[in-house]
Amino acid sequence: MSNFIVRKAAVLGAGVMGAQIAAHLANAEVPVVLFDLPAKEGDPSGIVRKAIDALRKLEPSPLATKDRVTYIDAANYSQHLDQLQDCDLIIEAIAEKMEWKDDLYRQIAPFIAPTAIIASNTSGLSINRLSQGLPEALRSRFCGIHFFNPPRYMHLVELVATRSTDPSLLDNLESWLVSRLGKGIVRALDTPNFVANRVGVFSMLAVMHHTQRLGLGFDVVDSLTGPIIGRPKSATYRTADVVGLDTLAHVIKTMQDTLPEDPWHGYYGVPGWLAALIGKGALGQKTRCGIFRKDGRAIKVLDLSLQDYRDSAADIDPTVLAILKNRNPAEKFAQLRASEHPHAQFLWAIFRDIFHYTAFHLADIADNARDVDFAMRWGFGWAQGPFESWQAAGWQAIADAVKADIDAGRAMSPVPLPAWVFGPVAQAGVHTAQGSYSASADAYRPRSTLPVYRRQVFPERVLGEKAVAGTTVWENEGVRLWTLPQVDDGIAIVSIKTRNHTLGRDVIVGLQEAVARAETGYQGLVLWHEAPFAFGANLKEVAEAIAGGEFELLERYVAEFQNASMCLKYAKVPVVAAVQGMALGGGCEFLMHAAKRVIALESYIGLVEAGVGLIPAGGGCKEFAIRAAQYAAKTGGNDPFEFIQPVFMTIAMATVSKSGAQARELGFARETDKVVFNANELLYVALREARGLAEGGYYPRLSPRAIKVAGRTGIANCEMMLANMKEGGMISAHDYAVAKAAATALCGGDIETGSLVDEQWLLSVERKLFVELLKNPKTQQRIQHMLETGKPLRN
Amino acid sequence: MNKQIQDAYIVAATRLPVGRRKGMLGHVRPDDMLAHAIRSVMAQAPGLDPALVEDVIVGCAMPEAEQGMNVARIGLLLAGLPNSVPGITVNRFCASGVQAVAMAADRIRLGEADVMIGAGTETMSLMNQIMGNKIALNPAIFEKEENYSIAYGMGITAEKVAAQWKISRDDQDAFAVASNQKACAAIAAGHFRAEISPYAVKARVPNLRTSEVAVKEYLAENDEGPRSDSSLEGLARLRPVFAARGSVTAGNSSQMSDGAAAVLVVSEKIVKQFDLKPLARFAGFSVAGVAPEIMGIGPIEAIPRVLKQAGVRQDEVDWFELNEAFAAQSLAVMRTLDLDPAKVNPLGGAIALGHPLGATGAIRTATLVHGLQRTGQRYGMVTMCIGTGMGAAGLFEAIR
Repeated sequence: MSNFIVRKAAVLGAGVMGAQIAAHLANAEVPVVLFDLPAKEGDPSGIVRKAIDALRKLEPSPLATKDRVTYIDAANYSQHLDQLQDCDLIIEAIAEKMEWKDDLYRQIAPFIAPTAIIASNTSGLSINRLSQGLPEALRSRFCGIHFFNPPRYMHLVELVATRSTDPSLLDNLESWLVSRLGKGIVRALDTPNFVANRVGVFSMLAVMHHTQRLGLGFDVVDSLTGPIIGRPKSATYRTADVVGLDTLAHVIKTMQDTLPEDPWHGYYGVPGWLAALIGKGALGQKTRCGIFRKDGRAIKVLDLSLQDYRDSAADIDPTVLAILKNRNPAEKFAQLRASEHPHAQFLWAIFRDIFHYTAFHLADIADNARDVDFAMRWGFGWAQGPFESWQAAGWQAIADAVKADIDAGRAMSPVPLPAWVFGPVAQAGVHTAQGSYSASADAYRPRSTLPVYRRQVFPERVLGEKAVAGTTVWENEGVRLWTLPQVDDGIAIVSIKTRNHTLGRDVIVGLQEAVARAETGYQGLVLWHEAPFAFGANLKEVAEAIAGGEFELLERYVAEFQNASMCLKYAKVPVVAAVQGMALGGGCEFLMHAAKRVIALESYIGLVEAGVGLIPAGGGCKEFAIRAAQYAAKTGGNDPFEFIQPVFMTIAMATVSKSGAQARELGFARETDKVVFNANELLYVALREARGLAEGGYYPRLSPRAIKVAGRTGIANCEMMLANMKEGGMISAHDYAVAKAAATALCGGDIETGSLVDEQWLLSVERKLFVELLKNPKTQQRIQHMLETGKPLRN
Repeated sequence: MNKQIQDAYIVAATRLPVGRRKGMLGHVRPDDMLAHAIRSVMAQAPGLDPALVEDVIVGCAMPEAEQGMNVARIGLLLAGLPNSVPGITVNRFCASGVQAVAMAADRIRLGEADVMIGAGTETMSLMNQIMGNKIALNPAIFEKEENYSIAYGMGITAEKVAAQWKISRDDQDAFAVASNQKACAAIAAGHFRAEISPYAVKARVPNLRTSEVAVKEYLAENDEGPRSDSSLEGLARLRPVFAARGSVTAGNSSQMSDGAAAVLVVSEKIVKQFDLKPLARFAGFSVAGVAPEIMGIGPIEAIPRVLKQAGVRQDEVDWFELNEAFAAQSLAVMRTLDLDPAKVNPLGGAIALGHPLGATGAIRTATLVHGLQRTGQRYGMVTMCIGTGMGAAGLFEAIR
């Protein structure tokens, strides 16, 4: 396979999806031309410019760093179509109107480069039909590419081939989307709404049907269909509000129009109450009123019996709650089905109908059960796909129960379950070691063999799939040192084992032991585990020592923490930190000390110690002080404070990066560190980086001496900011004290400006300040509050 | 005690239009702006031998980086004044410009000189930070709590004035809207025309498409700051900048700006010798110190002092150019001294017109002396508050 390179991309349509897809391409260092219609007045590319501007304001941000927007060029169809000629990938994301898309395809066809891929982000129109709008010569390079909203954060992309799509092109595109954009790919069949929306929208319709049948409130149903059953917090009706009730109605309409033969077709309609809301212009979040309405701080919910909004109160019946807390899925489903409580009946009914629906349609809508389950996990945020839930609860028992309900006329459709449900699958399940069941082929399909998936040592698994174990070298309660011989048996991996990967004594000792063992027996060390990277120091251990008044012990503990950081930094073999998810406090300090970092795009990194009334003292302040001196030495003024000032604000405000790329801007990572878009590739990339460093003859630099610090004037400069913030009522006296301690550590202590110090001096300054703060009752209150509530206290 | 031996007359006063920060003068160097102001003011006294200029005193609030190296001397040489003319940069923060005019006048009043230039220049676009190019505070400030106020930003001091003088957010916003309306009306009526020397901007910008240097040329003719669409509703939407529960916003504070002005001050002998037409007589100047944390009230102390010094009653003053550092402090000054609002900033103030720190005093002197001529009024004053707690006031009497 030759290299597949996207040098430049175009996105047609600067609506919500188009603009955000463009943003994500820019995140991935792909320059983009974003097109829309020419504006009728003013700047002809004004529509696109407005959309690009809007990207800056969206939260959560579609942009990995603010500067990404500069890589999106604004264009319009009347002036700039020639710019398509340089684009290797063209994604069409205009409104879902077949005739508009046909028109546009006709317009762009002459400008498409001979090797470019053209793909439509349609969420439901027929891809085969769309391809007819293109000249025949281009059809082999056309496919469906269905992103989910918001495209930066939703893992799923459905790829849909037409009858003429070149298979190798699709393989190339899939590989690129997986590795470069970090997406999870499901190959969908060209059926209306593809996989995730087909099942997901049916699921919403089933929820609506049973809500009404059982006379439940929308708020109660959201409690029942949220995290308690492994679905997102926005559950069903809030999701509808977020998506937009008009959009939802549109998707339902597509199913109504295009699936006349579907046994559930009678349910493909917009319920009267929903149509009434849309008629009134209550479209959900975008109009601040839909199924829910925000009144000041209170959230009100529409009550159909009152024909008005009332306070939202959504308690689940305690007996049903007890059933839901049962960890045995077989028992859970049996109990839900047996219970007469409407909450239980509702839950059983929605699962039953989803099981029924997905089993019936599996052969038409997807290649295999794994694709359906991944589609629902990645596209709708379900913790488990429907087939996984079914299999976990016992295939045969659920199949029998669903059948009994169908026979008794309780299911939404009388159509029987397909025969395969009761065949060999009944014993083996749909997910097996051989692969996942394909109803169309009546066979188990293994995972894709595309080379890109070899980069995922630990891919996301469906129920029943086993993970690679690796070979354990050594472990204690805090860490495990192991290797992955199938990738590189010369690079050791150290993984933190504690809950949320908090950094307690065992971790600190364990990391040092791991480095020592790596130095003697391996060529490199990778610090990797699944997200979160680390939630910081173990506050419970700290609080216990405070309660015992053991401040000397605490100082030794901090010194040990610093030793661990220094051990990572000065290891004789390269240490590569592989970071994903939260990396806070001590976790951030550890990664800062590694020889190199590979960081998943979705990494949230910060020195947040101020939240508990402390300062970074695991070497975090010290590292910034050293870097400030090194950067300053390269400037004319040689003033380290220039580089301290932004860092001081970052630490004082406990700023956390909103992406791995932003961690570079904030200084937690270096410009040369790699941002990895697919977190499943993180370990592979880290192992390769460590190997590369080792092969390149890695050796650690000597500890810097004669570090020029900002000293007393630097501290005073920081205090000036603090004095103003305190006087303006923006920070408390204790915030001031904590931030001043951070300033003091960053500036190398209360010594003359420009003094020359060494690394140990800086460590001792931050350590002493840290212990002093631990003695402060206000810091102790903050620590206690964090332990009790998980939230920072402002005192 | 008054040791004055002769009067000092302003025979020419001119300024550049004031640009918004990073606006029309965003790339123009402060020494170039100053040179233009000096050249223009000299041009208004044709026949006056430039070699007679005894000294050029230039106010600048951040005399460093682009404004460093004694910007006065560089500016006057770039303006083409002879090598024999010296120059000095002076700094009294926001009063630097009027301070320079006062110092120039004083040399004449003492009989030490016959021709002086008082000027001001400031770019807030090219300076890295508002507090100068490199902040380096004295740690001693934070050793005693009573000294903390030295480190207060101006916004915090405005909040304190607003709280202590009970200036409501609504009043501040209304004051800001009025400032904009007056300024827009004045521009429309051409009231600034006599004092402004338009500046031909020539900016070298990269054309990234052609890889050529493009030269952008345009004439900066009018003040850039005033907003004709300023409204109470719009201003009410702005959040306080300096305090969590504050009332001072970007909309009711002065704008950061770029600008320069020069004032030609001469003795009676020179007036007669070169047949010059004086615009005004310099009638007095005073500065006073106040607590740094309420620096905005400085004019409350400075205005009575200069009036007493000159023997002029407050009600005899027809026109107050009161620098609108903040609406809060302007209103506190006006209410405490019972200044007639109709006499204060009739053409708008710094909230609309901008406040290029050290240049403002010279700029507003130009506005005042031309304004008094136009309206036929007699006494006018340029007054302002000053960071770290001071107030300044300069008094001028129109000559016809």
